[in-house]
Amino acid sequence: MKKIVILCSFILSVTSALMAQWTVTGKVTDGKDGTPLIGATVEELGTENGTVTDFDGNYTLNVSSGKARIQVKYVGYAVQDINITDRASIDVIMVEDGVLLEQVVVVGYGVQRKSDVTGSIASVKGKEIEKIATSNIEQALQGKVAGLHVTPASGNPGAGAVIRIRGTGTLNNANPLYVIDGMITYDASLVNPQDVESIEVLKDASAAAIYGSRGANGVIIITTKNGRNKQKGQISVSSYYGTQQVTKEIAMLNGQEFASAYNQLRGQAYYPDPSIFGQGTNYQKEIFREAPIYNIQVSANGGNEQSSYNFSANYFNQDGILKNTSFQRGTFRLNSDTKLNSWLTFGSNLSFLISKSQNGPNVVSSAYRMPSLLTPYTEDGKFTDPTFFGLALANPIADQFYKSNNFSNGERLFGNAYLQAELLKGLRFRSNFGYDRSRDKSKYFEPQFEVSASQRNGSDRLSVGQSAGNNWIWEQTLTYTAEMGEDHTLTLLAGYTAEERSSEWIGGSREHFPGTVDELLYLSAGNDTTQMNYGGGVDEALISQLFRANYAYKNKYFLTASMRRDQSSRFTDVNRTGYFPSASFGWNLGREAFVENLNVFTDLKLRASYGILGNQASANTYPSAGVVSSGLYGVFGSSESLSQGATLLSLSNPNLHWETSSQADIGLDASFFDGKLTLEADWYRRLTYDIISSVPIPSYVGSQSNPVVNTAEVLNRGFDFSLKYNKSGNFSYSIGANLSPVKNKVTKLAQGKNEIFAAFLQGEPASHTIVGLPIGSFYGYQVEGIFQSAEEIAASATFGGEKPGDIKYRDIDGNNVLNDKDRVYLGSPIPTLTYGFSFNCDYKGFDFAADLLGVSGNKVYNAKETFRFGVYNWEKHVADAWTVENPSKTEPRVTNGGHNYRVSDRFLQDGSFFRLRTLSIGYTLPKNICENLKIGTLRVYVSANNLYTRQKYTGYSPEFANSGNPFEVGFDNGNYPIARSTQFGLDLKF
Amino acid sequence: MRTQIIIKQFFIAVSIVFFVSCSSDFLDRKPRGQLTYDTFFENEEHALQAVNAIYNIFRSWEFTGLPYLGATDIISDDADKGSTENDALYLAEVDQFQSNATNSVYSSMWTGHYQAIFRANLAIENIPNIDMDEQLKSRLLAEAKFLRAFVYFRLVQWYGDIPLITKILTEDEYFTQSRTSKALVYDQLEKDLKEAIDVLPERSKYAAEDLGRATKGAARGVLAKVYMVKKDYAKALEQCEAIINSNEYSLMPSYADIFSAKGEQGPESVFEISAVAIQAAVAGPGASPYNMVQGVRGIPNLGWGFNRPSDNLVAAYESGDPRRQATVIYVGEILPDGSTKVEDNPDILNERYNQKAWVPKHAGLQDNGPGNIRLLRYADVLLLAAEAYNELGNSAAALPLLNQIRKRARGTNNFILTDVTTTDQSVLGDRIRRERRVELAMEQHRWFDLMRWGIAGETMKAVGKNFVDNKHELFPVPQTELDLSDGVLQQNSGW
Repeated sequence: MKKIVILCSFILSVTSALMAQWTVTGKVTDGKDGTPLIGATVEELGTENGTVTDFDGNYTLNVSSGKARIQVKYVGYAVQDINITDRASIDVIMVEDGVLLEQVVVVGYGVQRKSDVTGSIASVKGKEIEKIATSNIEQALQGKVAGLHVTPASGNPGAGAVIRIRGTGTLNNANPLYVIDGMITYDASLVNPQDVESIEVLKDASAAAIYGSRGANGVIIITTKNGRNKQKGQISVSSYYGTQQVTKEIAMLNGQEFASAYNQLRGQAYYPDPSIFGQGTNYQKEIFREAPIYNIQVSANGGNEQSSYNFSANYFNQDGILKNTSFQRGTFRLNSDTKLNSWLTFGSNLSFLISKSQNGPNVVSSAYRMPSLLTPYTEDGKFTDPTFFGLALANPIADQFYKSNNFSNGERLFGNAYLQAELLKGLRFRSNFGYDRSRDKSKYFEPQFEVSASQRNGSDRLSVGQSAGNNWIWEQTLTYTAEMGEDHTLTLLAGYTAEERSSEWIGGSREHFPGTVDELLYLSAGNDTTQMNYGGGVDEALISQLFRANYAYKNKYFLTASMRRDQSSRFTDVNRTGYFPSASFGWNLGREAFVENLNVFTDLKLRASYGILGNQASANTYPSAGVVSSGLYGVFGSSESLSQGATLLSLSNPNLHWETSSQADIGLDASFFDGKLTLEADWYRRLTYDIISSVPIPSYVGSQSNPVVNTAEVLNRGFDFSLKYNKSGNFSYSIGANLSPVKNKVTKLAQGKNEIFAAFLQGEPASHTIVGLPIGSFYGYQVEGIFQSAEEIAASATFGGEKPGDIKYRDIDGNNVLNDKDRVYLGSPIPTLTYGFSFNCDYKGFDFAADLLGVSGNKVYNAKETFRFGVYNWEKHVADAWTVENPSKTEPRVTNGGHNYRVSDRFLQDGSFFRLRTLSIGYTLPKNICENLKIGTLRVYVSANNLYTRQKYTGYSPEFANSGNPFEVGFDNGNYPIARSTQFGLDLKF
Repeated sequence: MRTQIIIKQFFIAVSIVFFVSCSSDFLDRKPRGQLTYDTFFENEEHALQAVNAIYNIFRSWEFTGLPYLGATDIISDDADKGSTENDALYLAEVDQFQSNATNSVYSSMWTGHYQAIFRANLAIENIPNIDMDEQLKSRLLAEAKFLRAFVYFRLVQWYGDIPLITKILTEDEYFTQSRTSKALVYDQLEKDLKEAIDVLPERSKYAAEDLGRATKGAARGVLAKVYMVKKDYAKALEQCEAIINSNEYSLMPSYADIFSAKGEQGPESVFEISAVAIQAAVAGPGASPYNMVQGVRGIPNLGWGFNRPSDNLVAAYESGDPRRQATVIYVGEILPDGSTKVEDNPDILNERYNQKAWVPKHAGLQDNGPGNIRLLRYADVLLLAAEAYNELGNSAAALPLLNQIRKRARGTNNFILTDVTTTDQSVLGDRIRRERRVELAMEQHRWFDLMRWGIAGETMKAVGKNFVDNKHELFPVPQTELDLSDGVLQQNSGW
């Protein structure tokens, strides 16, 4: 970005005032404090005519006419285009970059002026996400971009998020691709959010097709901060400290209520006096805690004529709200650019991180299940054995005690280095090498213990594991830019890339250690007759050629065409090669006289694009190889030893290729009131076809899994809207809103497979995928009411065996019998609308910011309430259960599993929510005080994340990522909840 | 200036080279740490592993878990579903003959057994081409044929006519297989068994570390059963006599010991799948769910409590028969290892458990049990021989065989299970059937015997089950299989 700016200012400093017919003068000042901006460039648009401001911020420019447009630029501030409209004096108030419409955006393999972009690309500046206390860049993006649906993977410290761009495009891997400073990855967790300069979300085919076989789910480009040329060296320190709590508590039966519910279940006074149990134990209080979070970042950046640099070091430490979970990370980054001579530039972006986490057991479910009349410990101080109430019941406090010596450590070196050469005028060659090397280690020691027959460990065991990833990419690109006459601009890009990704893992375990202290916990200390070990690896490679042409006519009409050819090692030679073309068109209506004359729009642009993209990530690494499975041991001999067994279990399909999607987008960018108000609106239609799906073949063939073929189709249609309003001045503020309605629909499944059932609960599928409905729709019975009498049961359709107080389900087909034919579509787990709002303002050193986000139109299923393999605690509403004395019309009699727990809308709840994601109030010390203190600037702030959530759902939060499996979205299986946090922080610059 | 131009030209040249070069080796990647079908079946080790993998599936869920017990004991009059009222209702449907062709007992048995056939076919098709020790090669092929025949024998008894698959199907054959008549299926499995008998060694000829592999005796035993089904008693007898005269097997002195660790691959074991639980908390690669699904559910909490010995079975024992106590765990009973008393679980009505599937506390936690799966006992062979002699009118030869079983059962208590002396063919036949039931109770033989004797309908109706004649004699072909076949497969009558 900055290189273009330098180039432009160089050209513009050669003023050509020869043909000037109009003179305009004015002063350029900073919108925040009114100080003059020295050296800002002012140029007449469409010419090479320009000047720079003097020491007082003043400029004088001769332009061709009073109808001309000028553009004012200053590093770090948003560019402004201004119609002169016969004015002789124009003062310009500049607003810091990221607040106004950006000048350039990062696109695949290059940058483009925002006004020239014909695809659908959303930009998020680093500033917009830095107020969120998280280590994870994916979670930080929630609510920021129209068309981007972010679901936190869990509340576990360091956890990422599941991201869907413009709906769920496949039945398989629907995760977007990340490009971090030119290096490609599927895991962006390495990025420290405070190092981020900007994030570009490539949403449509025109933007993403240059990433070919990996672009179908959208691409997220992350650019990290660098210093600027000719910038004085600067050191900044920023830090925050805060605390986190669980956002809410699930209302459960207390001890006394559980005892009476249990009596009702038994039909006898098993506990003659329930009241002796009183409140009992609140297990949620036992497992959660108030946990600290803190972060400190030190960075130094600057630059001279030839080079610029940015160094940062960051330490992040988050304890989880669930006891015995934590995450610590140190990140180091060094970004630099150096101009070696007039035509050669060298640069690199390197980051290194180390992390450590404690992975205590996730006891959220078992705490939910523990009958509240049980205390965690018995009177003699042992852990309570809860299995009287059921086999699968584990004491969560005992698990936290015995299973928390579980740590993992990670290291990752990630970065790129490039060399760029201006070979001829307009012809640039760039060679970029990206590298990503990771090392992860895990160590888990479980002592010997016995709480119950099902919660015990017969002998102590140490398990260790290590994995290493090694990925590199080498890209050669040639870019040629030509201006042919005044009206034609052509940019051509051609590139060749090669890429290899591999990883290996190894691990083992032993039992019987001589002690449990840390220094003994190495495998060699254990008994070698108990050892187990494993190891493996995967690798893949990709070779691609890419081409793109951008053509602009009179800066009004823009045409972009691109093509990528990918060859992937995942597929056999005949199916290895794919072509991914795209084309798009933009019309800058704002520069047409008939629109200018309306005097409504500052800018107005229409965009349209179409293209074909691929998704190879849905195939596994070797999908066509008939893999021989080992570990199929036979047991022989008088000593019953294992004899290795191996064979082919499943038939494979050598003809597999990637999933493909065609995407169409029509968009409109408009700005009003001198650019204060901007609107972006897009309509899109994305059809994914050749979706990899297993096609059922008869079981007599004997293949364990069905061969996969390219067959199914999914359609996503929707709109993305985003609106921003900026007001600068003494009291400056900005308001942003984004809104994205989306419709998801399966349009074709595999031949012979009309429906896909998943998420089995009590042996019945709760998720149903069929043509015409969204992926993974909820499916089950509808509750009609509660049977009040034996007569009512006799007169109604039943499954058989119902008793008064049981649920009456609807007889959908009206045949007077209830069976699996009476199950229906109950709702969709995919929101039909996601939205976000932001508000920022500044007044006399005070700043205030609020971010809100929400989703609506989706349902969630409270699955955790329906797992009843034993007599678990019940949610509070069961206290109102049907009895003869209390003939409830809504709450069935107390039962444990069975009829009343069939998959039905009883457990389906509204998944809509609206959340105050961040709220922050800061104060920046006035300049004179800072000068006295000999510091640059100092800002102190308090902020809160997830302070308030408006939701109908009775669980912690209606967001469940469930590892991204599209058939099991929206099921609450008892996940680690997200936390609310409040923190205090300061930003200091020297 | 000149050097600059040279360097620039060099860059142009380099970039052009990159654009045109393309290495296809770079893109050829093979799974790491895993063989593929192209590289498998190349040496002796591969042949051995491929055959071991067939034995492996005999410990799977489909061969030892709930659907298997549903298709054998629970469907018969020996056992009820067990466990809590609402758990695994599909088994109750099978128990009460209220199921339809979508019930997962039928699809699990079909699928699991055809997967075993797939593994056997792979071995039988590929091992002949391997350059290896010829003796081992023919033994491994014989083992695979025995196992394939064993599996087909079950399928043909359960489903009647079935697709007979003896090779790995190609893509164009996936949907075209129709049902082969029972007779042809029997021809094929008899052929497999005879070929196995010719090659397989007797149990004592195996090396100690190979104990548990298919033997000549095992193949003869299965073939004897096949002939019993076909009512070819002379041929059945021939196989039984060969087993008896081999002197490879004997009855264990104590009936209860057969199902303890002591009895595993013991003198009475003709064919048995070994299992071992190696490590707690990790799904052991040598174990099976057989013990877990039938374990005591309640206090002590050791398993899922399925496959409850029925009232009818409990009543079928002669008074004082110690085999009842060795077969059933009651509430209030001390577990066989003396560890704990079984207490009432208020969630289960009248619970009882299958003691033959009980194992003491082991390293595998509940998830995977170490109990061997006894598939063919010497007592079974003796009773088959007795039955065959009686059917052939030779009660004199039948009686000693029958009384040998009773003698072992009675142990030192001469007041119970006295010798049978009747020579009336029909009365003796009935005595043999009753003996067979209690001797082999809860060992998953009952349903096959009822089918073989043709008395399933009357027996089921007598205990109040909804058995429908001309329907429930056979399992239905799973509905999904019919749907996929698009008319090539036809359903059994009545379903």
